[in-house]
Amino acid sequence: MLKRLVIGATIVALAPLSLAGAAWAHGPSRQKVSESIEINAPVDKVWKVVGNFQDMSWLPVVAKTEGKGGNDANATRTLTLKNGGVIEEQLDRYSAEDHTYSYEITKVDPKVFPVNDYSSRITVEGEGNKSTVTWWAGFYRGYMLNDPPPELNDEASLKAVTGLYKDGLAALKKKVEGGG
Amino acid sequence: MGNRFRARRLGVSLLAMCGQAALVDAHEAIITNQTSDSLSFVDTDAMKESARIEVKGKPAGIALSRDKATALVTAPDSKELVEIDLASRSVKRRLLLGGGPVGVAANPVRPEAYVADWYAHKVFVVDTATMKVAGEVKVGDSPSGLALTPDGKLLLSADRDSDAVSIIDVGTRQRLASIPVGKRPFGITVDDDGRRAYTANVKSDDVTVIDIPERKVVGTVPTGRRPYAVALAQGKGFVTDQYGGTVTVFDQSSLAPVKRIDTCDHAEGIEADALRRNVFVSCWGEDVLLRIDPGTLKVTGKAPVGDGPRAFGKFLR
Repeated sequence: MLKRLVIGATIVALAPLSLAGAAWAHGPSRQKVSESIEINAPVDKVWKVVGNFQDMSWLPVVAKTEGKGGNDANATRTLTLKNGGVIEEQLDRYSAEDHTYSYEITKVDPKVFPVNDYSSRITVEGEGNKSTVTWWAGFYRGYMLNDPPPELNDEASLKAVTGLYKDGLAALKKKVEGGG
Repeated sequence: MGNRFRARRLGVSLLAMCGQAALVDAHEAIITNQTSDSLSFVDTDAMKESARIEVKGKPAGIALSRDKATALVTAPDSKELVEIDLASRSVKRRLLLGGGPVGVAANPVRPEAYVADWYAHKVFVVDTATMKVAGEVKVGDSPSGLALTPDGKLLLSADRDSDAVSIIDVGTRQRLASIPVGKRPFGITVDDDGRRAYTANVKSDDVTVIDIPERKVVGTVPTGRRPYAVALAQGKGFVTDQYGGTVTVFDQSSLAPVKRIDTCDHAEGIEADALRRNVFVSCWGEDVLLRIDPGTLKVTGKAPVGDGPRAFGKFLR
């Protein structure tokens, strides 16, 4: 309900009133982003840093992670960003054995992160002293109707997610490789 | 086994009645790869992609003609319905619809197809001989999935943002009923008898079971996270759980849960073949088509396809 109210407020503010009745509709097509990075460290060492759903401290834009449910399915976390933005997320699938977890955003203001119906997966694979971390996402753009404003169109959402993932993975590499 | 025998008998009688192809095992899956603007043709015996063609406009929904010679594909980005000749694997005709075309269904009796318009809250009736709009029917908000009864007389639309299912008389193009279901129904499937319909409710993580003649809800089945669509085979229902990465299996008569099969990230389009020997699942998150044995409930095959396979509708021939 809260999510709908937040998005509703945004859409009413951006769209002519005649469109308000068509709110809650998706953008026309779902977007997909996949970014990977090679890290000079064993899988277990990388997983130790990224594998805790309750700790997003490896992502530079995050100031604070608060949540409950640990790494169990349906666990939740609230990320407070350094710019003050807040993102609420839920864990959908977790496998320590396969070094992967999937989660979704349950609440975000498109002004903070211009996406809707966003789900994501992070996976660590590798052999010996080399790992590859892949961060994947599926989502709709920030504006749910036809003819979006430029800051909430497909390109804007792709740019925001790709940028976050590239910066995040680069920071993760630095943290793991530099951290001894 | 009962289903298989019945399907065979039905096949023979259909063949006798109208000279059409009998129900045979599916040998090909036509998969809409939305992210990569393409269609994959998959040999479902070998579980191997045999061809891929470009189809612009972010193809999502799919239906096959009665004779399975053509596919109708919705392209939400270009707001079109695209007709594909499956023998030559080429685009035949395009129909500009406008709005937000999503689900599509082909009538098994009449030369008609129906396209859900996500934005205008209506269903287009398309004359498939001329590929022109022949009419439209007002439904609830943001219709998504469409399904027909096997006699081609009733059309059901999952009206996502009304949390309801419309039942439409195809002959008069009138909405006969709107039945409240779970939250945000997306995919909808009708059983072989035209008796029950099953909606996958994205936001309430369940399937609503509707008795079509009675126009009422007869049950609800809990699923994994974000159910997308439903297939029926060998007395069981199979539901793709988009975020859960599973296929939820339930018993079609008791509606009791049977199993949750670990499948893939963003399991989406799902369909059982004509003889109900296999269930096929497209995995948007992993760019593969999976084959499930509805008896053993095991994944028996995996075929890589194009980027972002959606296969929302009926895609087997």
